[in-house]
Amino acid sequence: MLRMTQTSTVLSVFALLLHTTFGESGCSSADGDGTCGDDESDNFDVDCFSQLEFQSSYSRLTCNFTELPPHDTNHTLALCSKEDRSYVCFNMEKQEDGYFLQFTDILSNKYVCMDSEMKKRMCRSLVVTDIVKPEVPFGINITYQKEANEYLIRYSTPHSWKKYLKDRLRHQVAYRQEEGTWKTIESPFLQVKLLGKNLKNDASYEVKVRSQPNGDYFKGPWSEWSTSESFRTAREQHSTESYSSMAMVVLSILGFMFSIVMIVLMITFWDNRIKPAVWPNLPDHKKTLEQLCKKPKNNFDISFNPESFGYVHIHKVEGIRSKAELENFLQPSTAPETNLPEKLSGSDLKMISVLTDKSNPNMSVAYGGIWPAETQCRLLGTSQFAVTEGNLGSSTYEVCHRNRVPQCNDDSNLSSAHSLDPLGQPGPEPLNGDTVSQTLPTSEMRSPSNEDAYVTMSSFYKIQ
Amino acid sequence: NPAFFRTIFWVLPLLLVLCPVNSSSCAMGNRTTEIRVKYENILSHDINELVNVSAEYRDKCCKNKKHENSKVFFCNDTQEIESLQSMACNMLKFFHKQKISKNFRWKAALVSCGTLQVLQCKCERNKKEK
Repeated sequence: MLRMTQTSTVLSVFALLLHTTFGESGCSSADGDGTCGDDESDNFDVDCFSQLEFQSSYSRLTCNFTELPPHDTNHTLALCSKEDRSYVCFNMEKQEDGYFLQFTDILSNKYVCMDSEMKKRMCRSLVVTDIVKPEVPFGINITYQKEANEYLIRYSTPHSWKKYLKDRLRHQVAYRQEEGTWKTIESPFLQVKLLGKNLKNDASYEVKVRSQPNGDYFKGPWSEWSTSESFRTAREQHSTESYSSMAMVVLSILGFMFSIVMIVLMITFWDNRIKPAVWPNLPDHKKTLEQLCKKPKNNFDISFNPESFGYVHIHKVEGIRSKAELENFLQPSTAPETNLPEKLSGSDLKMISVLTDKSNPNMSVAYGGIWPAETQCRLLGTSQFAVTEGNLGSSTYEVCHRNRVPQCNDDSNLSSAHSLDPLGQPGPEPLNGDTVSQTLPTSEMRSPSNEDAYVTMSSFYKIQ
Repeated sequence: NPAFFRTIFWVLPLLLVLCPVNSSSCAMGNRTTEIRVKYENILSHDINELVNVSAEYRDKCCKNKKHENSKVFFCNDTQEIESLQSMACNMLKFFHKQKISKNFRWKAALVSCGTLQVLQCKCERNKKEK
């Protein structure tokens, strides 16, 4: 009894262990025979490709033998998928050009199995998403863009309104001249442009398109070529258009350069010629007055302090002589003298001695006061009248009072001081050298007379 | 013989220990990348298509109906795969019983089966539901 118990216990344990460890085995097929192929990975020669969404939600598998099997044997191909521990297979339909099968599941790993009478079932792994062959493109449309001289080629694909391969394809466009060699262009878009300059004028061309998965997830071969479309390129009229465009370019460049030159000329001659002609300057009273009341230079003594006129000889003017007498008197005594000036007083004649330093154009003008009557009425042409040393050129001119005419003695000793003869007729003496007057600039310009005692603004216009 | 029964009962605890534990009906392993890639390229398109089709039956489906079965479609945190499996299996048996258009049922089944395939899971009642 005990032995029976022990035996039954062992057998039950063994049976349970056997059941739990092995589980269900074997596989079922669609035909229900309960058999399944061994996982024998024989590489039998069969070429397959898949077409996703071939008909609504169904995908299609197409297989062909690369090496034809012997005719005396029947071969069948089946598409199997592994579920749990069994294989679920579906036989492919045999037609003249291959084996076909429609299916829905593209996610699971599949196997293509070959059954033959002579051999046991052989299966090969198959990834449906790696052998995707797209649909053939269609609807090729060619448009010539005259302005750009380009040919726009548009086409369509059925996958544009499907789910999986939309925007997942790349397209290849092939074109050639009549009976020439094919040239290809690839694009991920549904249009391509051909440049007119790369094509012959007035020639006939042929175009065709095909598609392929771009390889991001779906892979596979090229689709079949679409039907060819022909078009004829434009004639040479666009070459004349190119000439006209060249002429436009040249003209635009010339116009640009001409405008540059005009701008430069305007800038250059604006101040000197253009502006005075277009917008002449009106007399400005302020500037004119400033010119009239121009401040002297730094070296010019304008102080009215008597002490600053220490070096100035003040001559008293007691009379006025005529200019002619003065000139006659001057002629023998035109030699320059370098004596120092002497202070004089008297006379009613006021001589204005203008001394200029040849090396220093700044003038020092001293108003002569009154010349003494006993002094020689002598007009010094080039005598020095300055304290400073060096060569000084001087010229004198006179502003004489008409009331009094000094009397001159011919035998009067000429003092070392400079003496100036009164003149009867006041008149401007010729200026020597580069003398410049700063106190009465305008008086040098014209002869002072009673009629010209007043200076008008019009005379200043020229100064500006 | 009382020893017989005692012997048999003694085996039961042993059997419980020896029986393989199969609490999950999904394949083990970290397959996040594979799941994501298959979802992005294939399953997401099927789901969008199902959503578009279901928009036509929104009122028909939920009109005068209690939402007692809505809880079967919830997703639990940290149990995404189990939740998706549960949803797919429930969708299979839920719409199998309703009088809904064949097109919609077909697409729902496609999504459910695709989900189970991507997750490599199976339903509790596997063969019949599939």
